[in-house]
Amino acid sequence: MVLAKGEVSEVKGLMLRGGRSVGGRYVADWRTFRPVVDASKCRKCWLCVMYCPEGAIGRGEEGAVIDLRFCKGCGICANECPAGAIEMVREE
Amino acid sequence: MTEFDVMPGNKAVAYGVKLSRVEVVPIYPITPQTTIVEYIGEFIANGELEAEYIQAEGEHSAMGMAIGASLAGARAFTASSSQGVAYMHECIAQAPGYRTPIVMAVANRTLGWYWALGPDYSDIMPELNLGWIVLMVESNQECLDTVIQLYRVAEDPRVLLPAMMSLDGFYLSYSYEKVLIPDQEVVDEFLPPYVAKYPVDPTISDKWPAPGLPPALHTTYRRLFEEVLGDAKRVIKEVDEEFREIFGRGYGGLLEEYKCEGAEAVLVTMGSMTTAARRAVDRLRREGKRIGLVKLRALRPFPKEEFRRIAEEVNVIGVVDRMVLHGTGGGGVFADLKSALYSLEERPKLLNFVAGMGGDDISVEDFMAMGRKVHRVLETGRVEREVEFVEHPLPPSRGPVPMEKMPIYPSSGGCAGCGASIALRNILDVLGLNTVVINPPSCATVNYSAQVSVPWVLANYAAGPAYETGVFRAYRIKGKTGRIAVIGFSGDGGTVDIGLQALSGAAERGESMIWICYDNEAYMNTGVQRSGSTPLFSRTTSTPVGKLWRGKGQRRKNMVLIMAAHRIPYIATASIAYLPDLRRKVKRAAEITAAGRGLAYIHIQQPCPTGWYFPVDKTVEVARLAVETGAWPLLEIEEGKMRINFKPRKLKPIGEYLRLQGRFRHLTEEEIAEIQRVVEEDWRSWLELEKMGKLPWY
Repeated sequence: MVLAKGEVSEVKGLMLRGGRSVGGRYVADWRTFRPVVDASKCRKCWLCVMYCPEGAIGRGEEGAVIDLRFCKGCGICANECPAGAIEMVREE
Repeated sequence: MTEFDVMPGNKAVAYGVKLSRVEVVPIYPITPQTTIVEYIGEFIANGELEAEYIQAEGEHSAMGMAIGASLAGARAFTASSSQGVAYMHECIAQAPGYRTPIVMAVANRTLGWYWALGPDYSDIMPELNLGWIVLMVESNQECLDTVIQLYRVAEDPRVLLPAMMSLDGFYLSYSYEKVLIPDQEVVDEFLPPYVAKYPVDPTISDKWPAPGLPPALHTTYRRLFEEVLGDAKRVIKEVDEEFREIFGRGYGGLLEEYKCEGAEAVLVTMGSMTTAARRAVDRLRREGKRIGLVKLRALRPFPKEEFRRIAEEVNVIGVVDRMVLHGTGGGGVFADLKSALYSLEERPKLLNFVAGMGGDDISVEDFMAMGRKVHRVLETGRVEREVEFVEHPLPPSRGPVPMEKMPIYPSSGGCAGCGASIALRNILDVLGLNTVVINPPSCATVNYSAQVSVPWVLANYAAGPAYETGVFRAYRIKGKTGRIAVIGFSGDGGTVDIGLQALSGAAERGESMIWICYDNEAYMNTGVQRSGSTPLFSRTTSTPVGKLWRGKGQRRKNMVLIMAAHRIPYIATASIAYLPDLRRKVKRAAEITAAGRGLAYIHIQQPCPTGWYFPVDKTVEVARLAVETGAWPLLEIEEGKMRINFKPRKLKPIGEYLRLQGRFRHLTEEEIAEIQRVVEEDWRSWLELEKMGKLPWY
């Protein structure tokens, strides 16, 4: 089953969700393409941050920063970037 | 010559249905049953089976339709699993009294409690004692053959009762095996068309099955039902025997004995686990253990007499149960067997193994261990532990990445390019940590319920808005209205189909909470079946494109107007391509509900690369085109005042939107023109409503 396991409670037989049982999900091994940001082109409009389905993009000083641990490589960021600052590169 | 193919159990069931020339097939998707009805849909779409195919709005209705069709004299089939069977329960209880020989396949899956997709018999357990015939199957071949056999049994005038075939989810439903497909002519000879004796049909009969009885007759009719079920045992055996003579395959009638010659102990198994148990018994026999195997085929009617005969020959029986009768300490078949043997003068020792719950695998080694325990009792004559739970440790897996607290953590198990994720992340970002999510089953459940730090309550499918109402009322009585955002987050199935009744109730009562429908325009979680929100001509797995079918034949429900008819304070549509608009609407909904003004409804279109068949990087692009072409207008109605939020000077041609998506690839120019016409017609209606200022019924 896909649902993650939870946290054991003080009540016998009651399984809990939340607490330390939730957090980011490591999916780096899902990717076939990796987004690469060209900081010189980034206009910091942050559309990629809003559109990223994985919440994997942060607002950096220099521009968009992608946490590749959480990126599945869908390429929405590259498709939506108005400045063409993100390129999808095949993973080796 | 008999054909064969390699196919999953669900397809074997569909072949059984096709060969039985079933006339009415009401369906509702649920894992792991869904592909049964998809395969049947393909047969009908391609003209290989002539049948009425009805896409119900919930399982309760699906069983209602099957009963109606059977009452009217048609051969009816339906299928379900787990929660779906439970939701049907009321109708299931009605079918035996109406003497409707429906056949239903149940692809087993654990019921309620802690949710999982894997099989155990907790789903059929509540249905066992209502007067249905319940047969268990071991292989895909047995799936096909048993459907045909069951129609013969169910329609036999000595029986005339509904029948359930229980096949293990995943182990049979999705596993491929070689299956022989009998010739149609031979099946036709074995199974003649169904002729109802007292159909609800004034052109044939002036009498019909009664719905009620005076109390004085109830006990009598319960006794008569027990006699009929007793007769059914004979019919099941006869039909299986005749089937074996004609098709060369039989399944032992009510039960099958395997390597029982000279056995002093037996294991009792049922369903697909039996195959592994056979291998274990083979090995134990080679080790010199005097052990055999009984495969229970008929769970109802229970083969009491056969077991009594077996009990006279053996000293120990070990029952392997894939269901627990909570509160009794053991399994269901164990309880049945114990009561069946109690009145014997000399009883064998009984052991019970509860195993394989929730789909946990029961291996050959597990059966070896059980067999040895049974054999040990044979040697010592002592039962140390009557009931044993066969448990396995949790396999290791990568845990979550620890992070600073936020409403929803990065990434998920969802598909790459998921639009629902974009919607959910923005919604929770607006609402913050003091939010509670109520969620009827959907892909969001599977993918995002384990990614959030805000409480996420999985509600039963038809009861999403009801769960939410309960939460809202609890906060209200505790004086917390406005301090916690209560949102329903549901797919289109949970909103426009199975959830509509509860949503309508909540809207009319003025429950001050937010309901958000993330609409991917089909049942994506079960593999893309049509919903009431699927657009015209869209290909889904239950509206396939074939010789006779061109995708979905109907237009979608207009949920905005349905909600407006309830005069709720806030209704909006939104798109994942227009996030500032979406976020503003979520905020407005939160303000209105915090003020206790009533239900706020937001309907978000959410393109799904997996179900709409477009490249994963195009999710937002497709969503934007939906708005620009008018296929998904952005609008809101606050206290009856309607406003279109995005009004292009000219709508883009619908083809630009449709062409990106595989679900519309089959469309002809005429069909595209028809969609264009429908979209423009809707667009004009919205413009006219906007001109009215305030909708007249507010």
